[in-house]
Amino acid sequence: MSADHAPSSGMRLTLNIWRQSGPADAGRMETYHLDGISPDMSFLEMLDVLNVRLEREGREPVAFDHDCREGICGSCGVMIDGNAHGPEAETATCQLHMRSFADGAALTIEPFRAKGFPVLKDLVLDRSAFDRIIAAGGFISANTGCAVDANSTPVAKSDAELSMDAAQCIGCGACVAACPNAAAMLFVGAKIAHLGLLPQGQPERSKRVLAMARQMEAEGFGSCSNYYECEAACPKAISVENIARLNRDYLRAGLTTRD
Amino acid sequence: MNNRLFALATSSIGRKALMALTGLGLIGFLVVHLAGNLTLLAGSDGAAFNSYARTIESNPLLPLAEVGLAALFLAHIVLGIRQAAGNREARPVGYRQFQSHGNRKVSTSSMLVTGLIVLVFLVVHISDFRLAARHPQGLAYMVHERMRQPLGAAVYLLGVGALGVHLWHAFQSLFQSLGLRHPRYSPLIDKAGRGLAVLLALGFAVLPVYTWVASPAKAAAKAPAESTSSAVSGPHDSSPAAATPSVTKEPR
Ligand code: FES
Repeated sequence: MSADHAPSSGMRLTLNIWRQSGPADAGRMETYHLDGISPDMSFLEMLDVLNVRLEREGREPVAFDHDCREGICGSCGVMIDGNAHGPEAETATCQLHMRSFADGAALTIEPFRAKGFPVLKDLVLDRSAFDRIIAAGGFISANTGCAVDANSTPVAKSDAELSMDAAQCIGCGACVAACPNAAAMLFVGAKIAHLGLLPQGQPERSKRVLAMARQMEAEGFGSCSNYYECEAACPKAISVENIARLNRDYLRAGLTTRD
Repeated sequence: MNNRLFALATSSIGRKALMALTGLGLIGFLVVHLAGNLTLLAGSDGAAFNSYARTIESNPLLPLAEVGLAALFLAHIVLGIRQAAGNREARPVGYRQFQSHGNRKVSTSSMLVTGLIVLVFLVVHISDFRLAARHPQGLAYMVHERMRQPLGAAVYLLGVGALGVHLWHAFQSLFQSLGLRHPRYSPLIDKAGRGLAVLLALGFAVLPVYTWVASPAKAAAKAPAESTSSAVSGPHDSSPAAATPSVTKEPR
């Protein structure tokens, strides 16, 4: 943080950042010049440096979302030069380091764009659409009694693995951001696979997939054209196989449920 | 219950499944259509093709099949346009910069465009061979006449090319939309789909090319050979006869 006025060593950057004072503001790109950035800084630390400097100059800092800064909470996420979470594969924005960029680079930083993710301010989104999709059925209703004996509920190894793979989803929304249709299929697919592959998820499996898909559509997300941009953008490399599972679980549930 | 079915069919996943199923049906039609076309190459100066066409035209169930086929096309087209429009709405504000990392190819992002080209071609094609009055010298003669004109042949090649590009993405995509994906067989489906796209495009392109390269002379020579023989073709038949010049023939 002390580097903000030390033009000595470090990277020089030109930052084109989306600025928007509130949901009603039309917004615009603004350009900032920053120097003295260490290649070992994370991308968010670089933004911190920028903000310290903006504050010192009496200007409004750039609003961006973040929490854990260790790639597990899903709070962070911006478009960097047209890449959701930046240019590195399987890397959340908070895990991205400045060494991934060239000294002197000009970076374009935009919020994730989707009808379902309205911009609140600068790079901060309202991602509560994901919460509402989860609330529609992305859970298992179970009484939490005392702990059951280990192995009293057998789970096939392959199912456990696929379920755990899907459970890695941190709900950041990069799949929506990268999808040309702003579809949330990978997110919903991951939740469907995560819960639907486990024995505890069976009783609500049909109800869950129908309700979550309905909510997904109600939130204004697009539909899947099988571009597979989502899989490539996902910081957790969630596979589009989960979208196929969502499709078949949904169709099966739609054709077979009786209630 | 009907509400449930309706909700299923109109949901975004349900609509994609219907696109997949109608697309699969249309691919099946194309395969049969191509097989019919290739009888033109049978070396019988179009006799095989004409008799194939007549067999189909004389089938009393043909109108039923045509209605079914038209329904497949219509559903596929309407769903596709609806899908494209809805997806545009899902991102009202676009990006200044966007870089693709997915499995996106020209075919993937041009599905609407190639689909619309095929649609325009379909209209031309149906009016050429399905709605036009049957020439006394038979369908094969009409095909040759059409393909002999550079513009006519170009339109057909363009339509068939767009179809190939459309199918390049379509085949594997339809399995994904129906929820059929597995590391064991999906790579095979990918390859089969691309092979099918190439085979169908090349197969349909054979006719115009063949007409051009091999048979301007033949086309002239064969005309009398085929003659009016089929009693079916009256001077101006909008009767069942002409109204039927082949299910296998026109839409593609
Ligand atoms: S801040 Fe938690 S995942 Fe990036």
